[in-house]
Amino acid sequence: MARLELDDVRKVFTDDDGSDIVAVDDVSVDIADGEFLVLVGPSGCGKSTTLRMIAGLESVSGGDIRLGGRSIVNKKPQNRDIAMVFQSYALYPHMTTRQNMSFGLEESTDLSDEEIAERVENAADLLSIPELLDRKPGELSGGQQQRVALGRAIVREPEVFLMDEPLSNLDAKLRSQMRTELQRIQEDLDTTTVYVTHDQTEAMTMGDRIAVLDGGELQQAGTPLECYHRPANRFVAGFIGEPSMNFFDMDVEGDRLVGDRFEYALTDEQATAVANAGTVTLGIRPEDIAVTVGSEATADNEFPTVVDVVEPMGNENAVYLGFEADPTNPFVATVGGMRQLDADERVVARFPADAIHLFDGATGEALHNRALDEGAEVEPRV
Amino acid sequence: MSDAPTTDGEQSGALAGVREDLAGLDGYRVALYAAVLGLTAFYLTPIESGLVTAFKTNPEGVSSTLPFAPPPGEFFTLEKWETAVQALGRGMVNSALYAVPATVISALLGSFAAYGLTQADWRARYKAPILAMFVAAIFIPYQAVLVPLSQFWGSVPLAEVLTPLWVAGVPRAYTGVIELIVTHVAYGIPICMVLFRGYYTTVSEEMIEAARLDGATFARVYRRIVFPISTPMFAVVLIYQFTQIWNDLLFALILVSTESSPAAPVVLILAGLGESQEGQDFALRMAGAFVAALPTLIVYVLFGDEFAEGVAS
Repeated sequence: MARLELDDVRKVFTDDDGSDIVAVDDVSVDIADGEFLVLVGPSGCGKSTTLRMIAGLESVSGGDIRLGGRSIVNKKPQNRDIAMVFQSYALYPHMTTRQNMSFGLEESTDLSDEEIAERVENAADLLSIPELLDRKPGELSGGQQQRVALGRAIVREPEVFLMDEPLSNLDAKLRSQMRTELQRIQEDLDTTTVYVTHDQTEAMTMGDRIAVLDGGELQQAGTPLECYHRPANRFVAGFIGEPSMNFFDMDVEGDRLVGDRFEYALTDEQATAVANAGTVTLGIRPEDIAVTVGSEATADNEFPTVVDVVEPMGNENAVYLGFEADPTNPFVATVGGMRQLDADERVVARFPADAIHLFDGATGEALHNRALDEGAEVEPRV
Repeated sequence: MSDAPTTDGEQSGALAGVREDLAGLDGYRVALYAAVLGLTAFYLTPIESGLVTAFKTNPEGVSSTLPFAPPPGEFFTLEKWETAVQALGRGMVNSALYAVPATVISALLGSFAAYGLTQADWRARYKAPILAMFVAAIFIPYQAVLVPLSQFWGSVPLAEVLTPLWVAGVPRAYTGVIELIVTHVAYGIPICMVLFRGYYTTVSEEMIEAARLDGATFARVYRRIVFPISTPMFAVVLIYQFTQIWNDLLFALILVSTESSPAAPVVLILAGLGESQEGQDFALRMAGAFVAALPTLIVYVLFGDEFAEGVAS
């Protein structure tokens, strides 16, 4: 088990016409021993490339990767003591489950046949697949292949697990089941793990910490709740959370924000935070918007709106609201699942002052994040 | 044909089925089946004629019966087959001596080359010209290389190198067999490489990467992953190469040249079989052709299942 450090890691691909494409731009993350780090971002953000550089499957254009304090940049993949689980499972089709799981131990260790057999059987028990040991991948379902692929990584007892969207080929039910199981296994084995996904739900639920990447650059590394409640910038705020945070572009005029469709009164603290910005983006999460039936705004920061569409989820309803004055580009609010709202109904939406986020209009940097209750847990759990 | 009408004695259920089948027959279907039958007959007639001719006496049986009619009792004989086997026996052994090693070596080397050109970690810009050379080599006509080939083997002191063999009692003419092995391997590698390459480009890259992360070296990945999963492709290449090399007359003619040589391959002997001053012994020539073709048929039967799988992939 070891600590994995990415230090200004950079990857530049050179195109055929000689132009450079920066896929990963000076990413630095420290992954503590036994930590579960999720690399998350939209497709093409460089998360898979980062993972492949850790594995040694891509060369590193700049920076350093250290495992247990020692640089592994110049080591071949087979000498890095890293196991990886691929999205396509990448099982060896001509070998049985047992042979698939033994392969890595046969190639990378001097263990005797008995020791290998024992480790394979222990891993199979851990994953509850002992009855599949003598079957070939072609005879297994997707979920079973997934377990074998995990087993192949586990028997190696490597320093680091790398997982490249391992659950994305499973159906929704199986995915949430495997999510829980993967977490349990990782906690049991206490192996440093880097997990790549584009799915923010997986990132939020599985990671000790998540690192959000966009355009090859690290946007924020923090606990899931930190990224949720204290996003470093507008990108993280929009990427983490489902449905996404609502954003409104506003001009700063003293202690008021003025937009095309509404004006917003700031607290003194908020006004100070945005004093130096000409324009800001106001962000508010759907669950923080208070919706009351009626058509008259009675206080500051209340806005008369019209219900556009209601999406019932059972536990809650996602309500798309358009401003009465200009109903284009509706924003979304979530209300309790028992509340009955209908399309075209007139409601008042309130944006509570302690729930809003303010981002710099030009750079997207967070200028002010929402207030949190005392004791809200955003610090790392490890 | 399953669509043929059945007789009145059949059960009523079957009759109804037949009526249904016949109702589905339109002009297009009839024409299609007629064309298929015609083509089948067109391709099978020469083989059938050859086969029945091989069992006829010569010249009486051959000249007094229709070419594709089976031999009547008085003209039936197995003598031609015995003569053919006797005449071709040593040639079959000689052919096998170079066809089997040349086939296996060219398939293996072609597979190595394809593995290196698909899975090895080097830039596409360096791979492309090498691949282009392999592809170009496929299209070099054998006729164009005959003179350089004989000059090349004339300048190589192969016979001297192989002296221990001659001391051990092997006739010196077998130099030609060694030359045939090397020549067929050299000219077989490009097509084998291209066939394997087509297969290896479809192999999951992640699987190869998984094996490398599992600690296997590049050579071990070939040995334990790539080689075992290429069995269907090996069947295709082995059948194709074996048939090519076994049937090739041109190189044999240049490198061994005479049918009287102790190292003469079967194709050289077959060329002169049944030819004499008195005329051609068609029955013997036909029997000889079937005997000479037998090994290629056996190879097809042995690797048939894998062959089908390999062609499909």
